[in-house]
Amino acid sequence: MHEMSIALEVGRLVELEMERHPGRLLSVGVLIGDDAGLEPESLAFCLEAVLAHPPFDGARPVLNRVQGDTLRLEYLEVDDGRPDD
Amino acid sequence: MAVRTIEVREKLMARNNELAAEVRSRLAVSGVPMFNLVSSPGSGKTTLLERTLDLLGEELGIAVVTGDVQTQNDADRLARCTQRLVQAVVTGGACHLDASQVLKALEAIDLADTRLLFVENVGNLVCPASWDLGEIAKIVVLSVTEGEDKPLKYPKMFQQSRYAVLNKMDLLPHVPFDLDRAVACAREVNPDLQFFFTSAHTGLGMESWFEFLRRQARVAVPA
Repeated sequence: MHEMSIALEVGRLVELEMERHPGRLLSVGVLIGDDAGLEPESLAFCLEAVLAHPPFDGARPVLNRVQGDTLRLEYLEVDDGRPDD
Repeated sequence: MAVRTIEVREKLMARNNELAAEVRSRLAVSGVPMFNLVSSPGSGKTTLLERTLDLLGEELGIAVVTGDVQTQNDADRLARCTQRLVQAVVTGGACHLDASQVLKALEAIDLADTRLLFVENVGNLVCPASWDLGEIAKIVVLSVTEGEDKPLKYPKMFQQSRYAVLNKMDLLPHVPFDLDRAVACAREVNPDLQFFFTSAHTGLGMESWFEFLRRQARVAVPA
């Protein structure tokens, strides 16, 4: 039921990261434990809603389920426009 | 196109937990224990607090923060039982209180004149279990008009709580509620849970609750 609160917190943290790593955001990885008290499908729905708008430009949420009560923003995938290393 | 993966590994509850730590720290400095009352809607949290304020409100200098999705009806009810501040937080749709709301509510409370603080959380056995508000303990209220298997259905709330109040005991002869099974279900998910058996409506069993609160207020001293 509090998935939107969590999705908004993901948005806040992603914005902070994007200030340090500018580029086009492609995907956002979240680690979610089975005992985290969240419904993964509902969180995915809320994340899609949050990430649909600027500055996120429709980035794709990727939820990875694990055991326990882990709830973590794991990674961002960003196209920074620079050539591959 | 150069796609880069940026590792973040940031806990999503970290910000809330930082604010909860600040709440805990402020309360510790003032020697004020805070309890987070949680339950499903209609279990009797507000009535329990009304009776508590009636008898102990002045003696223990009790302040209350209430959380509701809409209306400040609970705060209005409690304000009739005390001269002290009852701070209402209307969440505007959110299903739980968070630590930032409690921190803000503390600004309106005279902690120097408070010995015990209750947060009456939004009635919900799911979400409030995940949010640390800076309390010393969660107290879950379960009434005999609910199912005795609630602890099994909502284990996180009962695992996160240190105390359980089984309320509306006056109705026990009239409802098909298996008290022993309710206690067993709760202990199955949290063997350390301590129980109170009360009827806030009639006053049944309230003495042990009051004595518990007196002990808590006595134990807490300013840091």
